[in-house]
Amino acid sequence: MPRRVAAGQLFLAAGPAGARIGRIPSGSLAPPCYAPRAVSRPTLEPLIAKRRVILCVGCGGVGKTTIAAAIALAAARQGKRVLCMTIDPARRLANSLGLERMATEETTVPRELFAAAGLEVAGELTVVMLDTKRTFDDLVTRHASNAAARDRILSNRLYRYISTTLAGTQEYMAMEKLLAVQSEGRFDLVVLDTPPTSNALDFLDAPDRMVGALDSAAMRWFIEAFQSTGRLSLNLVARSVSVVLRGIGRLTGGGFLEQMAELITELDDLFGGFRARAHAVAAAFRSPEFAYVVVTTPAPAALREAEFFAERLREQGMSTDALVVNRVHRRPRAQPSDAEVGTALAAAGIALGEGGVARLQRALHEEESLASADTASLASLERSIGADRATIRVDVPALPGDVHDLGTLAGISTLVGG
Amino acid sequence: MASLDSLRFVFVTGKGGVGKSTVTASLAVSLAARGRRVLVTSTDAKERLSLLLGAPPLEPEVRELRARIWGVKLEPSVALREYGAMILKSRALTSAVFDSRYTRGFFAGVPGLSEWAMLGKAWYHAIEEAPGGGPRFDTVLFDAPATGHGLDMLRVPRVIVEIVPPGVLRRDAERAWAMFQDPRQSGVVVVTLAEDMPANETVELCQALGGELGLPLTRIVVNALVEPLFTEVERGLLLQPRSLDRDLPGNEAIACGVRRAIRERVQEESLAKLRALPGERIELPLLFDYAPGPPTVAKLAELLR
Repeated sequence: MPRRVAAGQLFLAAGPAGARIGRIPSGSLAPPCYAPRAVSRPTLEPLIAKRRVILCVGCGGVGKTTIAAAIALAAARQGKRVLCMTIDPARRLANSLGLERMATEETTVPRELFAAAGLEVAGELTVVMLDTKRTFDDLVTRHASNAAARDRILSNRLYRYISTTLAGTQEYMAMEKLLAVQSEGRFDLVVLDTPPTSNALDFLDAPDRMVGALDSAAMRWFIEAFQSTGRLSLNLVARSVSVVLRGIGRLTGGGFLEQMAELITELDDLFGGFRARAHAVAAAFRSPEFAYVVVTTPAPAALREAEFFAERLREQGMSTDALVVNRVHRRPRAQPSDAEVGTALAAAGIALGEGGVARLQRALHEEESLASADTASLASLERSIGADRATIRVDVPALPGDVHDLGTLAGISTLVGG
Repeated sequence: MASLDSLRFVFVTGKGGVGKSTVTASLAVSLAARGRRVLVTSTDAKERLSLLLGAPPLEPEVRELRARIWGVKLEPSVALREYGAMILKSRALTSAVFDSRYTRGFFAGVPGLSEWAMLGKAWYHAIEEAPGGGPRFDTVLFDAPATGHGLDMLRVPRVIVEIVPPGVLRRDAERAWAMFQDPRQSGVVVVTLAEDMPANETVELCQALGGELGLPLTRIVVNALVEPLFTEVERGLLLQPRSLDRDLPGNEAIACGVRRAIRERVQEESLAKLRALPGERIELPLLFDYAPGPPTVAKLAELLR
């Protein structure tokens, strides 16, 4: 049985001497400096048990990918067949799972790796990185009425840019892929790490934007003006329409409209399928099988984004099922005197150079400052999101380094997912 | 910082949570203190630049925030309409194109268009002339969105240059792209932390700037450095495996020392990677200030001089 690890121990990542610089030594949670203490705190266990999809949302840089992986690992330990979808290459995370890197092919973490880390994993953990272009290509392939139409779209120059280079596509494709995977029923649970948009809400709007564009009158006009002749002919549409199209044409340069019209006309073949799909994606957001986990840090900017997101979910009649506050600095348990620090150093046999006690005191003082700042900003969070009793709140302590190994990830997974 | 002073367009990028807005605000204050007229721009609906500069929230119109610093919020729909009005030169036509409910969904659904509208507006201000002649602003600071690599936005003008046929849009994108690539006029400031992931991503970002994108890297700003308190030998001692008695108060200091030793090692290794990158670097200390405001910005602006 893996030992339950108390939050405090995550701070106490001590390792073997001579560990590589910058690396938290493997198995840093065991042996902990302090003896394990049984704690009972809320976790995401109820969500893992009942939901089919867990969406991790939050602004960039809050550790969303790590939290998503920790949730997925917890689910696998609880016997689920779980797929963890990431957006970033997240090489460190891949390494911590014993993989070379996150691949766009599904990779199941080998059992031996769990065993080597002393973890009992009853279920199965599979990871995959989103491949935006391939997901888009699959969508086209699935909905194209014939091979020739499919090939014309896949080789269209504009399509190639839209499906690879441009912002905005990724958000939609993440949801598209999620739905595709979910419908196959190979997994009990899918954990999705949403794209690191500047605005955590962008992906929620993505299907609506897509349907909006597909259904816009402008799109219809293009098809109308293009279809019958194979050339863009503004004489074929109403005068008022042609005024608008000509206006757009003056902005973009004439030839661009033809290119657009050509792609749109090709895509028209797929629109029915696309639209139905986008509606399905938008509806899935509201499905009770979906859980929303807002990930944040105590930094005010991240908290504001989290509150904004929770507010937005509320508006749409959805709920923030859990709030994970990552990288919380813990207040030091004691404020030892210089003499007490000196005694402890001697007892532990640590011979620091000149002023060692003062420097340790300064390190303690700086941690205290960070903890005070966190406490202050989390108090305001408590007042807003925390007031909703249905929201599970989990605080994950700040680690002094990055997550490099299964042991550390397992520690976080216990905290987050039970 | 001589070269930063002469730039017309500065693109500030970095992963979320690295202090990008704080650095943008500090750069603005530092440049303004040396007599430059600076425009700060933000693409974020919940921007913090104004707060950091002690001013009311940014608006879609350019407003003076304080002496020699102006600010504007880049809203895609507003920016796109402005751009359209400038080119179409007819109010009725502009209104027909942009205010029609038939086209609204269409523009929102064209990928890249919002990004170009925002970036294009910022670029326009960089070449804008004052009523009496001469440039309206000396420097435009673009606080880029905190996307994965912040690169998507930078790529948009190049994509337009590559796919849009000759015309007004293509011409403007070409001019903007030429300006962004010119190291005498533009530069990218990458803000990062001396931590594992941010450092690795910064290395990748710098490679993309120098290679695939061909954009000038002006500065790497390494933010929030802790002062090393322990020597490498001492860190080794602190990190030896041991069991500590929870009830002995002095052990809390040792546990803290262990955490600090790890952090210092991570910082040192990350700094080594960042210092190996080409270009000038600015290293800023952690100010233990979780809710930075004008005082923090003033302090950092001093350090940026």
